[in-house]
Amino acid sequence: MMRIELRNVTPDYIEKEKWDASQIWEKTITINKGEHLHIVAPSGSGKTSLIHFIYGLRKDYSGSVYYDNTDIKNLSVESFSVFRQNKISIIFQDLRLFENQTVKENIEIKRILDPYHKPEAITEMAKKLGIEKKLNQLAKKCSYGEQQRIAIIRALMQPFDFLLLDEPYSHLDDENRKKAMELIYEECEKRNAAMVFADLKALDFLKDERIVYL
Amino acid sequence: MPLTYKNIEPLIITEKNSFSKWLGYFGLGIGVLLLLVSIQMFVNIQQLLQENNPRKSGGYDFISISKTITNANMGKDNTFTTSDLAALKNQPTIQGVAPLISNKFRVRATAGDIIPFSTDLFLESIDNNFIDTVPPTFTWQPGQMVVPIIFSSDFLEMYNVFAPAQGLPQLSPKTISSVNIILECSGPYGTQNFKGNIVALSDRINSLLVPKSFMNWSNYRFMQDTSVHASRVYIKTKDANDPKLISYLEQQNYHLNKEKIKFSRIKSILQNIVSALGVFGIFVIVLALMLFSFYLQLMIAKSKDNLRLLLTLGYSPDWLAKSVAKTWLPVYLSIIVGALILTEILHLLFMQLSFVNTANLSFVLNWSVWLTAIFLFGLTLFINLNLVKKELKTIL
Repeated sequence: MMRIELRNVTPDYIEKEKWDASQIWEKTITINKGEHLHIVAPSGSGKTSLIHFIYGLRKDYSGSVYYDNTDIKNLSVESFSVFRQNKISIIFQDLRLFENQTVKENIEIKRILDPYHKPEAITEMAKKLGIEKKLNQLAKKCSYGEQQRIAIIRALMQPFDFLLLDEPYSHLDDENRKKAMELIYEECEKRNAAMVFADLKALDFLKDERIVYL
Repeated sequence: MPLTYKNIEPLIITEKNSFSKWLGYFGLGIGVLLLLVSIQMFVNIQQLLQENNPRKSGGYDFISISKTITNANMGKDNTFTTSDLAALKNQPTIQGVAPLISNKFRVRATAGDIIPFSTDLFLESIDNNFIDTVPPTFTWQPGQMVVPIIFSSDFLEMYNVFAPAQGLPQLSPKTISSVNIILECSGPYGTQNFKGNIVALSDRINSLLVPKSFMNWSNYRFMQDTSVHASRVYIKTKDANDPKLISYLEQQNYHLNKEKIKFSRIKSILQNIVSALGVFGIFVIVLALMLFSFYLQLMIAKSKDNLRLLLTLGYSPDWLAKSVAKTWLPVYLSIIVGALILTEILHLLFMQLSFVNTANLSFVLNWSVWLTAIFLFGLTLFINLNLVKKELKTIL
């Protein structure tokens, strides 16, 4: 997949007056493979909605989202599963882990779908993010910050051309944010993948990104 | 770990020992067993009773009827008229009618040197397709001096009972064809001797049957009379026990030998019993599948969040549906194989029963039982897969 294009996308639930100043709603935005797009917006302005529209989880919007030349509203659930296996990955704001599975199992469930990394990569990444001792612990017993790191590693286990990040560092301190960001950059570079990063404010340690305000 | 259903099974099947699941398995097992056994027993009864039933051929019953003789009609003409025969033919329960035409001239038979025996005889003829055994030699043309005869098996049996007391030799079905019979036919218009040759034995018709061509020719030759006055008529029907047929015959005062259709009645009752058993089996299978589908719906409802997350992460709905459905493949297979084994055991036990002639039955289950088992296996898998797909769609 080479590009994602948003054409005049507006959520059904937002009034027209609220999107006048937006650089995304009702505009055409193209995100090319290898590009870093940083979407900045305050809480409640629709960052998560936009990420979900792009990932195909919600369809309550007007306009169109295109994967290359395909309007994703026309994609079947089965076709979406193929895209999600090896074209597009996501780190959810609400993390979405299997709480009764161990940390390692949570990551493996994603890795086995289309293994980009060997199983050993889980331990290596966990070490980088400081959660290697938690691998055999149930996810529900981990702190929210640890769970965020689990979700990050899980998203990096598959091949992808686009990585969607929805406030992925909200519960991480600066040091862990930097470690996580470095890992994400490294993995995106390996794949020459695009990164769509949605957060409350522009982060100073992001590099080469295009910032747009929602 | 590889991408196998086993690795994600704990996320979907959260409860291992569900009562409804085990009850569903048990019900399905009982239902399948009942259905398979009833099919096998139906076939067994069909084969056992058909083999011994001379009245039946090509799926039809051939039964003889005559007018009931009462004090009121005694001494009157109780033969079937042309309109009687036409009325019989018009009955929807009757597929064919053939009168037994008897000789109007006198026939005297002697059995030559082997059996010093002579008697007046009666001969009869009927359409060949109503006779159970018609050899190719059962034909006659004017000028032919040998008349082929089909002899009743019951008559042969009766002969063999009284023959020793009369100092006559007993005869086997094979030797009877070698007995030379001289038929002395006489009437107001002449006398002629023919050689009678027994060419077959009939289990169906109690008579001495000659070809229709001989009967017509000789009635005219010796009596100048070819009119048909049959006191006995054979009817061809799909079911001799059809209440409509029996009721019609009773209304017309026609006599039907109920003893003769006893086999059919027993068979009909037994087949009705096993058919009811089969229907009950189908009912139990449907109930079991319904129960099992409730369990499946409950299971998917309980693991709804996990399934939704798996789909969000990129798991294919088709793969998930097939994998979940496949979980029960070994269970269904075990149930079907178990039911087949039990059916085979019951079939073998049935063959041990004293009244069963094992020569008529195969030790292997009938093909229809195998086909039903395969069909049920396919049906359960199909229902399972579609149910899981439907449930998955609801959570997407």
